[in-house]
Amino acid sequence: MKKIITFLVLLLCTTPVFAATTSSDITKETEIQTRIDSVAVKLLNNNKITKRIIFAYDKRAKKKALSTDKALTKRQIIIYDGLYQHIQTDDELAAMMAREIATAMKSYDGSFGGWIDSAQVALGSKKFETVSDKRAVDYLVNAGYNPLAVIIFINKTCPQKRHDTFSRHNLTSKRLARVYEYITFKYPQYLENNEYINNEYYQNFLLTSVENRKKLEKKIRTKSTKDVDYE
Amino acid sequence: MNKFIATLLSLAFLTLPTYGIEMAPIPEVEAIETEEVVTEEVKELPYNYESTYKVPIKLGIVEPITTKGETLYEGQTLQFKVLQDTYCRRKTFLKKGTIVNAKIETLISSGMNGFPAEIILGNFEIPGTKPSQLVDTYTKKGQNRCYIVYPIKWALTIIPFVGSLTNFIKGGHARIKAKDEIVIYYYPDWK
Repeated sequence: MKKIITFLVLLLCTTPVFAATTSSDITKETEIQTRIDSVAVKLLNNNKITKRIIFAYDKRAKKKALSTDKALTKRQIIIYDGLYQHIQTDDELAAMMAREIATAMKSYDGSFGGWIDSAQVALGSKKFETVSDKRAVDYLVNAGYNPLAVIIFINKTCPQKRHDTFSRHNLTSKRLARVYEYITFKYPQYLENNEYINNEYYQNFLLTSVENRKKLEKKIRTKSTKDVDYE
Repeated sequence: MNKFIATLLSLAFLTLPTYGIEMAPIPEVEAIETEEVVTEEVKELPYNYESTYKVPIKLGIVEPITTKGETLYEGQTLQFKVLQDTYCRRKTFLKKGTIVNAKIETLISSGMNGFPAEIILGNFEIPGTKPSQLVDTYTKKGQNRCYIVYPIKWALTIIPFVGSLTNFIKGGHARIKAKDEIVIYYYPDWK
Protein backbone atom coordinates (compact mmCIF):
# COMPACT_ATOMS: atom_id res chain seq x y z
CA MET A 1 0.00 0.00 0.00
CA LYS A 2 2.84 2.32 0.94
CA LYS A 3 4.45 1.70 -2.42
CA ILE A 4 1.28 2.61 -4.26
CA ILE A 5 0.89 5.84 -2.27
CA THR A 6 4.55 6.72 -2.85
CA PHE A 7 4.11 6.07 -6.57
CA LEU A 8 1.00 8.24 -6.69
CA VAL A 9 2.77 11.03 -4.81
CA LEU A 10 5.70 10.86 -7.23
CA LEU A 11 3.28 10.90 -10.15
CA LEU A 12 1.61 14.02 -8.78
CA CYS A 13 4.98 15.70 -8.34
CA THR A 14 5.87 15.15 -11.96
CA THR A 15 2.57 16.40 -13.39
CA PRO A 16 3.35 20.15 -13.07
CA VAL A 17 6.67 19.58 -14.86
CA PHE A 18 4.88 18.10 -17.86
CA ALA A 19 2.35 20.90 -17.75
CA ALA A 20 5.09 23.52 -17.78
CA THR A 21 6.82 21.86 -20.79
CA THR A 22 3.59 21.61 -22.76
CA SER A 23 2.72 25.22 -22.06
CA SER A 24 6.10 26.47 -23.34
CA ASP A 25 5.81 24.21 -26.38
CA ILE A 26 2.39 25.60 -27.18
CA THR A 27 3.68 29.16 -26.86
CA LYS A 28 6.61 28.36 -29.17
CA GLU A 29 4.35 26.68 -31.72
CA THR A 30 1.93 29.60 -31.63
CA GLU A 31 4.81 32.01 -32.30
CA ILE A 32 6.01 29.93 -35.24
CA GLN A 33 2.47 29.62 -36.66
CA THR A 34 1.95 33.39 -36.32
CA ARG A 35 5.22 34.06 -38.15
CA ILE A 36 4.30 31.61 -40.91
CA ASP A 37 0.80 33.11 -41.33
CA SER A 38 2.18 36.63 -41.41
CA VAL A 39 4.70 35.92 -44.18
CA ALA A 40 2.24 33.69 -46.07
CA VAL A 41 -0.57 36.22 -46.19
CA LYS A 42 1.88 38.87 -47.40
CA LEU A 43 2.88 36.57 -50.25
CA LEU A 44 -0.72 35.78 -51.17
CA ASN A 45 -2.02 39.34 -51.03
CA ASN A 46 0.88 41.01 -52.80
CA ASN A 47 0.75 38.45 -55.60
CA LYS A 48 -3.02 38.88 -55.91
CA ILE A 49 -3.54 35.13 -55.60
CA THR A 50 -7.28 34.76 -55.92
CA LYS A 51 -7.41 31.14 -54.76
CA ARG A 52 -7.56 29.92 -51.17
CA ILE A 53 -4.42 28.38 -49.68
CA ILE A 54 -3.73 27.81 -45.99
CA PHE A 55 -0.55 27.14 -44.03
CA ALA A 56 0.10 24.91 -41.03
CA TYR A 57 3.15 24.20 -38.92
CA ASP A 58 3.86 20.56 -38.15
CA LYS A 59 6.24 19.48 -35.38
CA ARG A 60 7.29 16.41 -37.33
CA ALA A 61 10.67 16.54 -39.02
CA LYS A 62 9.39 15.67 -42.49
CA LYS A 63 6.48 14.35 -44.53
CA LYS A 64 5.63 10.68 -44.10
CA ALA A 65 6.80 8.48 -46.96
CA LEU A 66 4.08 7.70 -49.53
CA SER A 67 1.68 10.30 -48.08
CA THR A 68 0.03 12.67 -50.55
CA ASP A 69 1.16 16.27 -50.90
CA LYS A 70 -1.53 18.31 -49.12
CA ALA A 71 -0.61 21.36 -51.20
CA LEU A 72 -2.13 19.49 -54.15
CA THR A 73 -5.02 17.71 -52.46
CA LYS A 74 -6.26 20.22 -49.88
CA ARG A 75 -4.38 23.39 -50.86
CA GLN A 76 -2.92 23.24 -47.37
CA ILE A 77 0.80 23.91 -47.11
CA ILE A 78 2.51 22.06 -44.29
CA ILE A 79 5.75 23.50 -42.92
CA TYR A 80 7.62 20.67 -41.25
CA ASP A 81 9.91 21.38 -38.33
CA GLY A 82 12.86 19.70 -40.01
CA LEU A 83 12.84 22.36 -42.73
CA TYR A 84 11.74 25.20 -40.48
CA GLN A 85 14.87 24.73 -38.38
CA HIS A 86 16.95 25.82 -41.38
CA ILE A 87 15.05 29.10 -41.69
CA GLN A 88 16.76 32.20 -40.39
CA THR A 89 15.19 35.18 -42.12
CA ASP A 90 11.68 36.01 -43.33
CA ASP A 91 13.10 36.03 -46.88
CA GLU A 92 14.03 32.36 -46.52
CA LEU A 93 10.67 31.48 -44.96
CA ALA A 94 8.95 33.28 -47.84
CA ALA A 95 11.12 31.33 -50.32
CA MET A 96 10.08 28.03 -48.78
CA MET A 97 6.38 28.91 -48.85
CA ALA A 98 6.42 30.56 -52.28
CA ARG A 99 7.55 27.27 -53.84
CA GLU A 100 4.63 25.49 -52.22
CA ILE A 101 2.19 28.22 -53.27
CA ALA A 102 3.28 27.68 -56.88
CA THR A 103 2.54 23.96 -56.50
CA ALA A 104 -0.82 24.57 -54.84
CA MET A 105 -1.79 27.01 -57.59
CA LYS A 106 -1.26 24.29 -60.20
CA SER A 107 -3.86 22.16 -58.39
CA TYR A 108 -6.52 24.78 -59.20
CA ASP A 109 -5.92 24.59 -62.97
CA GLY A 110 -7.38 22.25 -65.51
CA SER A 111 -10.16 19.71 -65.79
CA PHE A 112 -12.02 17.88 -62.99
CA GLY A 113 -11.39 20.68 -60.49
CA GLY A 114 -7.66 20.58 -61.09
CA TRP A 115 -7.39 16.84 -60.41
CA ILE A 116 -5.64 16.04 -63.70
CA ASP A 117 -3.10 18.85 -63.34
CA SER A 118 -2.42 17.85 -59.73
CA ALA A 119 -1.71 14.29 -60.84
CA GLN A 120 0.65 15.61 -63.51
CA VAL A 121 2.51 17.76 -60.99
CA ALA A 122 2.84 14.78 -58.66
CA LEU A 123 4.03 12.46 -61.45
CA GLY A 124 6.21 14.94 -63.29
CA SER A 125 7.73 16.49 -60.22
CA LYS A 126 11.11 17.02 -61.94
CA LYS A 127 9.70 19.48 -64.44
CA PHE A 128 7.46 21.26 -61.97
CA GLU A 129 10.25 21.49 -59.43
CA THR A 130 11.98 23.96 -61.76
CA VAL A 131 8.70 25.76 -62.47
CA SER A 132 7.99 26.12 -58.74
CA ASP A 133 11.48 27.50 -58.14
CA LYS A 134 11.00 30.12 -60.85
CA ARG A 135 7.48 31.08 -59.76
CA ALA A 136 8.78 31.37 -56.19
CA VAL A 137 11.28 33.99 -57.39
CA ASP A 138 8.43 36.00 -58.98
CA TYR A 139 6.26 35.71 -55.86
CA LEU A 140 9.09 36.89 -53.63
CA VAL A 141 9.85 39.92 -55.78
CA ASN A 142 6.16 40.92 -55.92
CA ALA A 143 5.87 40.64 -52.13
CA GLY A 144 8.98 42.72 -51.49
CA TYR A 145 11.28 39.88 -50.42
CA ASN A 146 14.75 39.25 -51.82
CA PRO A 147 14.60 36.47 -54.47
CA LEU A 148 18.16 35.38 -53.69
CA ALA A 149 16.66 33.78 -50.59
CA VAL A 150 15.37 31.00 -52.89
CA ILE A 151 18.99 30.13 -53.68
CA ILE A 152 19.95 30.21 -50.02
CA PHE A 153 16.98 28.09 -48.98
CA ILE A 154 17.64 25.42 -51.62
CA ASN A 155 21.38 25.47 -50.99
CA LYS A 156 20.81 24.85 -47.28
CA THR A 157 18.11 22.21 -47.44
CA CYS A 158 18.44 20.07 -50.57
CA PRO A 159 21.05 17.33 -50.78
CA GLN A 160 23.20 16.79 -53.87
CA LYS A 161 22.59 13.42 -55.51
CA ARG A 162 25.03 11.75 -57.90
CA HIS A 163 22.78 11.93 -60.97
CA ASP A 164 19.21 12.75 -61.89
CA THR A 165 18.65 10.74 -65.07
CA PHE A 166 16.22 8.28 -63.51
CA SER A 167 15.24 10.41 -60.56
CA ARG A 168 12.00 12.30 -60.00
CA HIS A 169 14.05 15.26 -58.80
CA ASN A 170 16.62 17.49 -60.47
CA LEU A 171 20.17 17.74 -59.24
CA THR A 172 20.24 20.54 -56.68
CA SER A 173 23.16 22.21 -58.47
CA LYS A 174 21.02 22.39 -61.65
CA ARG A 175 18.09 23.87 -59.77
CA LEU A 176 20.32 26.49 -58.18
CA ALA A 177 21.89 27.40 -61.52
CA ARG A 178 18.46 27.78 -63.16
CA VAL A 179 17.21 30.01 -60.36
CA TYR A 180 20.38 32.11 -60.60
CA GLU A 181 19.91 32.42 -64.37
CA TYR A 182 16.26 33.40 -63.91
CA ILE A 183 17.21 36.15 -61.47
CA THR A 184 20.08 37.29 -63.73
CA PHE A 185 17.73 37.87 -66.68
CA LYS A 186 14.53 38.97 -64.95
CA TYR A 187 15.64 40.74 -61.81
CA PRO A 188 19.27 41.80 -62.35
CA GLN A 189 18.88 44.66 -59.85
CA TYR A 190 19.04 42.13 -57.00
CA LEU A 191 22.46 40.99 -58.20
CA GLU A 192 23.74 44.51 -58.87
CA ASN A 193 22.78 45.71 -55.38
CA ASN A 194 23.37 42.37 -53.76
CA GLU A 195 22.31 42.39 -50.11
CA TYR A 196 23.47 38.81 -49.74
CA ILE A 197 27.05 39.35 -50.85
CA ASN A 198 28.25 39.07 -47.24
CA ASN A 199 26.02 36.11 -46.49
CA GLU A 200 28.06 32.96 -45.88
CA TYR A 201 25.43 30.64 -47.38
CA TYR A 202 25.29 32.75 -50.55
CA GLN A 203 29.07 32.75 -50.78
CA ASN A 204 28.97 28.97 -50.43
CA PHE A 205 26.58 28.84 -53.39
CA LEU A 206 28.93 31.05 -55.42
CA LEU A 207 31.84 28.79 -54.53
CA THR A 208 30.03 25.60 -55.53
CA SER A 209 28.54 27.01 -58.73
CA VAL A 210 31.63 28.41 -60.46
CA GLU A 211 31.39 26.03 -63.44
CA ASN A 212 27.66 26.57 -63.93
CA ARG A 213 28.05 30.33 -63.68
CA LYS A 214 30.75 30.18 -66.35
CA LYS A 215 28.24 28.47 -68.65
CA LEU A 216 25.73 31.21 -67.91
CA GLU A 217 28.33 33.91 -68.66
CA LYS A 218 28.92 32.22 -72.04
CA LYS A 219 25.17 32.22 -72.73
CA ILE A 220 24.98 35.95 -71.97
CA ARG A 221 28.08 36.66 -74.09
CA THR A 222 26.77 34.76 -77.11
CA LYS A 223 23.20 36.09 -76.59
CA SER A 224 21.89 32.55 -76.88
CA THR A 225 18.27 31.76 -76.00
CA LYS A 226 18.83 28.02 -75.70
CA ASP A 227 18.67 26.17 -72.39
CA VAL A 228 22.07 25.78 -70.75
CA ASP A 229 23.10 22.23 -69.93
CA TYR A 230 24.02 22.73 -66.28
CA GLU A 231 25.89 20.16 -64.21
CA MET B 1 -6.43 6.75 9.45
CA ASN B 2 -3.17 8.39 10.46
CA LYS B 3 -1.58 7.10 7.29
CA PHE B 4 -4.43 8.55 5.25
CA ILE B 5 -4.06 11.98 6.90
CA ALA B 6 -0.28 11.80 6.48
CA THR B 7 -0.70 11.03 2.78
CA LEU B 8 -3.13 13.90 2.30
CA LEU B 9 -0.79 16.30 4.12
CA SER B 10 2.20 15.14 2.13
CA LEU B 11 0.24 15.53 -1.09
CA ALA B 12 -0.82 19.04 -0.13
CA PHE B 13 2.75 19.90 0.82
CA LEU B 14 4.22 18.52 -2.37
CA THR B 15 1.78 20.34 -4.60
CA LEU B 16 2.47 23.71 -2.92
CA PRO B 17 5.36 24.57 -5.28
CA THR B 18 3.00 24.00 -8.20
CA TYR B 19 0.62 26.59 -6.85
CA GLY B 20 3.62 28.82 -6.36
CA ILE B 21 4.51 28.55 -10.04
CA GLU B 22 0.95 29.19 -11.06
CA MET B 23 0.62 32.17 -8.71
CA ALA B 24 3.88 33.78 -9.78
CA PRO B 25 2.57 35.75 -12.77
CA ILE B 26 -0.22 37.41 -10.77
CA PRO B 27 1.80 40.50 -9.69
CA GLU B 28 2.78 41.01 -13.33
CA VAL B 29 -0.87 40.95 -14.33
CA GLU B 30 -1.69 43.57 -11.70
CA ALA B 31 1.21 45.68 -12.91
CA ILE B 32 -0.10 45.54 -16.46
CA GLU B 33 -3.56 46.59 -15.34
CA THR B 34 -2.22 49.74 -13.69
CA GLU B 35 -0.16 50.73 -16.73
CA GLU B 36 -1.60 53.05 -19.34
CA VAL B 37 -3.22 51.22 -22.21
CA VAL B 38 -1.09 51.81 -25.29
CA THR B 39 -3.05 51.30 -28.46
CA GLU B 40 -0.98 49.91 -31.31
CA GLU B 41 -1.29 51.91 -34.50
CA VAL B 42 -2.77 49.89 -37.34
CA LYS B 43 -0.47 50.14 -40.33
CA GLU B 44 -2.09 51.04 -43.62
CA LEU B 45 -1.67 48.20 -46.08
CA PRO B 46 -0.28 48.91 -49.55
CA TYR B 47 -3.38 47.27 -51.05
CA ASN B 48 -7.14 47.34 -50.53
CA TYR B 49 -9.17 44.74 -52.39
CA GLU B 50 -12.57 45.92 -51.12
CA SER B 51 -13.96 47.06 -54.48
CA THR B 52 -15.42 44.44 -56.81
CA TYR B 53 -15.77 46.77 -59.81
CA LYS B 54 -13.62 45.48 -62.64
CA VAL B 55 -13.09 46.31 -66.28
CA PRO B 56 -12.26 43.45 -68.67
CA ILE B 57 -9.60 44.35 -71.22
CA LYS B 58 -9.59 42.17 -74.33
CA LEU B 59 -6.24 41.80 -76.05
CA GLY B 60 -4.86 39.96 -79.06
CA ILE B 61 -1.23 39.21 -79.83
CA VAL B 62 0.46 41.15 -82.65
CA GLU B 63 2.90 38.39 -83.68
CA PRO B 64 1.76 34.79 -83.00
CA ILE B 65 4.13 32.78 -80.81
CA THR B 66 4.81 29.11 -80.09
CA THR B 67 7.00 27.15 -77.71
CA LYS B 68 8.15 25.01 -80.68
CA GLY B 69 11.72 25.70 -81.74
CA GLU B 70 13.07 27.37 -78.59
CA THR B 71 12.67 30.90 -79.95
CA LEU B 72 10.97 32.19 -76.81
CA TYR B 73 12.69 33.03 -73.55
CA GLU B 74 11.63 34.12 -70.11
CA GLY B 75 11.51 37.89 -69.68
CA GLN B 76 10.87 38.40 -73.42
CA THR B 77 8.64 41.39 -74.22
CA LEU B 78 5.64 40.73 -76.43
CA GLN B 79 3.24 43.15 -78.07
CA PHE B 80 -0.55 42.96 -77.87
CA LYS B 81 -3.26 45.19 -79.24
CA VAL B 82 -6.55 46.14 -77.62
CA LEU B 83 -9.33 44.33 -79.53
CA GLN B 84 -12.19 46.70 -78.78
CA ASP B 85 -12.85 50.08 -77.18
CA THR B 86 -12.81 49.66 -73.43
CA TYR B 87 -14.93 51.78 -71.10
CA CYS B 88 -14.46 52.52 -67.43
CA ARG B 89 -17.49 54.13 -65.78
CA ARG B 90 -18.94 55.16 -69.16
CA LYS B 91 -15.76 56.92 -70.24
CA THR B 92 -13.45 55.62 -72.95
CA PHE B 93 -10.50 54.15 -71.18
CA LEU B 94 -8.65 52.34 -73.97
CA LYS B 95 -9.06 52.77 -77.70
CA LYS B 96 -9.23 49.79 -80.05
CA GLY B 97 -5.79 49.08 -81.53
CA THR B 98 -3.77 50.50 -78.63
CA ILE B 99 -0.49 48.60 -78.31
CA VAL B 100 0.23 47.00 -74.94
CA ASN B 101 3.48 45.37 -73.88
CA ALA B 102 3.67 42.26 -71.72
CA LYS B 103 6.38 39.85 -70.64
CA ILE B 104 6.80 36.11 -70.68
CA GLU B 105 6.91 35.26 -66.99
CA THR B 106 7.60 31.54 -67.18
CA LEU B 107 7.94 28.96 -69.93
CA ILE B 108 7.23 25.30 -69.31
CA SER B 109 8.39 22.95 -72.03
CA SER B 110 6.28 19.95 -73.03
CA GLY B 111 7.25 16.72 -71.35
CA MET B 112 6.79 12.98 -71.27
CA ASN B 113 3.47 11.37 -70.32
CA GLY B 114 1.62 13.95 -72.40
CA PHE B 115 2.55 16.97 -70.27
CA PRO B 116 1.71 20.06 -72.30
CA ALA B 117 3.96 23.08 -72.77
CA GLU B 118 2.83 26.26 -71.07
CA ILE B 119 3.37 29.99 -71.52
CA ILE B 120 2.68 32.23 -68.53
CA LEU B 121 2.34 35.92 -69.39
CA GLY B 122 2.36 38.84 -66.99
CA ASN B 123 3.46 42.44 -66.45
CA PHE B 124 0.94 43.92 -68.90
CA GLU B 125 1.71 47.62 -69.30
CA ILE B 126 -1.73 49.17 -69.74
CA PRO B 127 -1.60 52.97 -70.16
CA GLY B 128 -3.23 54.82 -67.25
CA THR B 129 -3.11 51.90 -64.82
CA LYS B 130 -0.86 50.78 -62.00
CA PRO B 131 0.39 47.15 -61.87
CA SER B 132 -1.35 46.75 -58.49
CA GLN B 133 -4.72 47.43 -60.18
CA LEU B 134 -4.40 44.61 -62.68
CA VAL B 135 -5.06 40.90 -62.38
CA ASP B 136 -2.93 40.15 -65.35
CA THR B 137 -1.53 36.65 -65.26
CA TYR B 138 -2.50 34.77 -68.42
CA THR B 139 -1.63 31.14 -69.03
CA LYS B 140 -1.78 29.32 -72.36
CA LYS B 141 -1.30 25.57 -72.46
CA GLY B 142 -0.65 23.16 -75.28
CA GLN B 143 -2.64 20.00 -75.86
CA ASN B 144 -2.79 17.88 -72.73
CA ARG B 145 -2.29 14.35 -74.02
CA CYS B 146 -2.52 12.66 -70.65
CA TYR B 147 -6.17 11.93 -71.42
CA ILE B 148 -4.88 9.52 -74.06
CA VAL B 149 -1.67 8.46 -72.32
CA TYR B 150 -3.06 7.30 -68.97
CA PRO B 151 -5.85 5.03 -70.31
CA ILE B 152 -3.42 3.42 -72.79
CA LYS B 153 -0.81 3.02 -70.07
CA TRP B 154 -3.28 1.27 -67.74
CA ALA B 155 -4.64 -0.91 -70.55
CA LEU B 156 -1.13 -2.05 -71.48
CA THR B 157 -0.02 -2.66 -67.90
CA ILE B 158 -1.00 -6.33 -68.22
CA ILE B 159 1.91 -6.80 -70.67
CA PRO B 160 5.13 -6.20 -68.70
CA PHE B 161 7.04 -3.00 -69.60
CA VAL B 162 4.80 -2.17 -72.56
CA GLY B 163 2.71 0.32 -70.55
CA SER B 164 5.87 2.26 -69.78
CA LEU B 165 6.35 2.97 -73.49
CA THR B 166 3.58 5.56 -73.23
CA ASN B 167 5.98 7.62 -71.11
CA PHE B 168 7.57 8.74 -74.36
CA ILE B 169 4.41 10.45 -75.64
CA LYS B 170 5.03 14.17 -75.27
CA GLY B 171 2.46 16.89 -74.67
CA GLY B 172 1.52 19.54 -77.21
CA HIS B 173 3.27 22.86 -77.76
CA ALA B 174 1.65 26.04 -76.49
CA ARG B 175 0.68 28.57 -79.12
CA ILE B 176 -0.81 32.04 -78.89
CA LYS B 177 -2.48 32.77 -82.20
CA ALA B 178 -3.54 36.16 -83.56
CA LYS B 179 -7.23 35.26 -83.14
CA ASP B 180 -6.82 34.22 -79.47
CA GLU B 181 -8.62 36.59 -77.12
CA ILE B 182 -6.71 37.34 -73.93
CA VAL B 183 -8.78 38.91 -71.15
CA ILE B 184 -7.15 40.66 -68.23
CA TYR B 185 -8.96 42.62 -65.54
CA TYR B 186 -8.48 46.20 -64.40
CA TYR B 187 -9.77 47.14 -60.93
CA PRO B 188 -9.82 50.98 -60.98
CA ASP B 189 -10.66 51.33 -57.27
CA TRP B 190 -7.75 49.24 -56.03
CA LYS B 191 -4.73 51.15 -54.75
